[in-house]
Amino acid sequence: MADIETFYDVMRSQGITRRSFMKYCSLTASALGLGPAFVPQIAHAMETKPRTPVIWVHGLECTCCSESFIRSAHPLAKDVVLSMISLDYDDTLMAAAGHAAEAAFEETIQKYDGQYILAVEGNPPLNEDGMFCISGGKPFVEKLKHAAKGAKCIISWGACASYGCVQAAKPNPTQATPVHKVITDKPIIKVPGCPPIAEVMTGVITYMLTFDRMPELDRQGRPAMFYGQRIHDKCYRRPHFDAGQFVEEWDDDGARKGYCLYKMGCKGPTTYNACSTVRWNEGVSFPIQSGHGCIGCSEDGFWDQGTFYDRVTDLTQFGVEANADQIGLAAAGAVGTGVAAHAAITALKAAQSKAQKTPTEPTNEEA
Amino acid sequence: MNARKLIVGPFNRVEGDLEIKLDVEDGRVAAAYANAPLFRGFEQMMVGKAPEDALTITPRICGICSISQSAAASAALGAAAGVAPAPEGMRVAAILHAIENVCDHLTHFNLFFCADFARPAYAGRAWHARAVDRFTAMEGSGARACVEARAQILHIVGLLGGKWPHTLAIQPGGVTRAPTARDCVRMASTLASFRRYLETVVFGAPVESFAEIATADALVGWDKGDAGLFMDIAADLALGQMGAGPGRYMSFGAYPLPDGRAFASGLWEAGHLQPVDTRDIREDLSHAWMHGATAHPSDGRTDPDEDMSDPAYSWCKAPRLGGRTVETGAFARQVVDGHPAAVELAGRGSNALNRVAGRLLEVARTQLLLEQWVADIAPEARFMDSVTLPQTGDGEGLVEAARGALGHWIRIEDGRIAGYQIIAPTTWNFSPRDAAGTPGPVEAALEGAVVGDDEDTPLTVQHIVRSFDPCMVCTVH
Repeated sequence: MADIETFYDVMRSQGITRRSFMKYCSLTASALGLGPAFVPQIAHAMETKPRTPVIWVHGLECTCCSESFIRSAHPLAKDVVLSMISLDYDDTLMAAAGHAAEAAFEETIQKYDGQYILAVEGNPPLNEDGMFCISGGKPFVEKLKHAAKGAKCIISWGACASYGCVQAAKPNPTQATPVHKVITDKPIIKVPGCPPIAEVMTGVITYMLTFDRMPELDRQGRPAMFYGQRIHDKCYRRPHFDAGQFVEEWDDDGARKGYCLYKMGCKGPTTYNACSTVRWNEGVSFPIQSGHGCIGCSEDGFWDQGTFYDRVTDLTQFGVEANADQIGLAAAGAVGTGVAAHAAITALKAAQSKAQKTPTEPTNEEA
Repeated sequence: MNARKLIVGPFNRVEGDLEIKLDVEDGRVAAAYANAPLFRGFEQMMVGKAPEDALTITPRICGICSISQSAAASAALGAAAGVAPAPEGMRVAAILHAIENVCDHLTHFNLFFCADFARPAYAGRAWHARAVDRFTAMEGSGARACVEARAQILHIVGLLGGKWPHTLAIQPGGVTRAPTARDCVRMASTLASFRRYLETVVFGAPVESFAEIATADALVGWDKGDAGLFMDIAADLALGQMGAGPGRYMSFGAYPLPDGRAFASGLWEAGHLQPVDTRDIREDLSHAWMHGATAHPSDGRTDPDEDMSDPAYSWCKAPRLGGRTVETGAFARQVVDGHPAAVELAGRGSNALNRVAGRLLEVARTQLLLEQWVADIAPEARFMDSVTLPQTGDGEGLVEAARGALGHWIRIEDGRIAGYQIIAPTTWNFSPRDAAGTPGPVEAALEGAVVGDDEDTPLTVQHIVRSFDPCMVCTVH
């Protein structure tokens, strides 16, 4: 193994205090859903393990994942991108350009063969032999395969790398293809979302560093600790959903009171992500809190599900709540997460006689 | 004659993928060809979708200028419906948009542009040690301070828009969140702390004193803060003598408010300002890997030529205004808006320094606007009116992204999108040649740039290219 300094060494050389370091460890523990007992374990790992080399490559994408990543809550987490986790190659932020950059890429691959994590932002387009995304004179798909060969594992950042995202929307002109369909012989962690939450991104990396293994994944390959529950399960507007209080149109009285956005097309009931708990921009808010429904950006195919402002389902024979719950059940079943609690609560609610408006208009699903 | 060809790229520290081919003769660039090698096909995907989906899909063209895309989509839908947003909604949308633009300027200055001054090639220059300390890629103290200040001011976007990037709050009728009085206090305090960052780090003086600089000499002679360090370096490296664009500056006007746009719209050339007539826009496809004829964006199409046949060399179309190239961006905006120092600089000639100076001016002026807008918010007012989109119709949405003029053109038939065309700022600035053989603005700006015999990624070329702050993912989309 190449001789690599530890995380703690790097932090010290950046002038990070011990106190700040310990605070980072406890924040990380809580972000990962681990108790205080794990803080020393994380600290120990950071002190003794060599920093993990990361190669970060960009395919068809919009850089929103990088943008999200560099503003995670704790300053040390930000440093993850700026130097701590050595970002040995990142074409958006690095110093070198042109041929020097390509040389750095090759050097990193060889030097850390079998040790590095390959972080992929965006995806390869396969149409026309990959000519829609050319990097260094070659199709991106070749660069991806080349970099994947010596990687310990692969992180698919965001909906692009995980599922295809908007550039794979019908008719998918470039045949944008998720990473796991191109690289089939390496462990892949999908961290979907458009973009994923910064703390989720740093949390995943820190977990792998601390425990030297990949986090537990759900059946879709997402880290269960962040994608184990629906937005709906922990939404602060959930009591209004249960009480049948909905926003009926933009900026109405219900909107001012923070009622449920289900009727405005919110996909919270079918979306597994940590937005309603971790929140965005250093815990300030999340889309539902800003009065706009969830669009389900951490779910496969969210871009081609009919309009974003239609209700999650057109099963009009059931009440609103039954709809949400059925969708919830189906989605939960798919990822193998327990739904007993939610089902029980909903059964209780169903027993209350409560006038529900039934959605009547069918959605305009695209053929 | 000593002639050689160079391919510069992949270009890092620009958003997205860029490759530039250079013909070098006797140590200078004789001709340049800008290639945007990334194509996704958003305009094709939009066809057949529900019109309101443009609000969610088009911002995902770019994770850096996503609010600009969202504002343009919203404006195009509003125009198709023939309605304007609720006045308070316009103000909140302006706040969201202005913060994104300021963040982009600071990212460009600290992370993308100035990092080049820390290169070993400049060791020995009087300012090099300071540049290394402040601007070294990923590690410089200025870069770190910028990332932190940006994350803080984006709390306001979080508060009003739920998340950034890819904020959903801006709608044709206004914005989805009505800020409360408490939100306003919080935003004001976030702006106060951002002002502290600008005054201690970027300008080294009160924001007003930079925003109100009255002459070109006072601007390029600024000697405080990182802005002063930049001016020092720019003078030494003669950034004011390289990278001449067309000298025609176009702005669609930034931040529509009930009483007009906060920064004016117009076309400035040689001291004359005239209105922009968007009917004069044509996208020329002669050197783009696209099928079809030259067309106005309202009836343009995007049909990639998969054979990538000659003489085309880019996925980027070549937009022209009245048949001519124009430069767009923060400097263009400040010139068109009539900022005296910017106008005087423009009169002296187009160059790389002006583009950076324009961004710095705009950062200062925007801080003052933001403080005013937040103070003016009336929490009890309506923030969104309901809008019914037409079954058939068309609309044009014009906004100013950080990098310049951004337009969306939508055509709706039978309640579905029948046509959607986007011209992004970098599409203007990094366009390929047109049918007349006229190079795009950056291609023209590179002609004459000095290339050392031992250089294969020439520094002057990098300075000139990055002075435009290209956003390649927006360029082609």
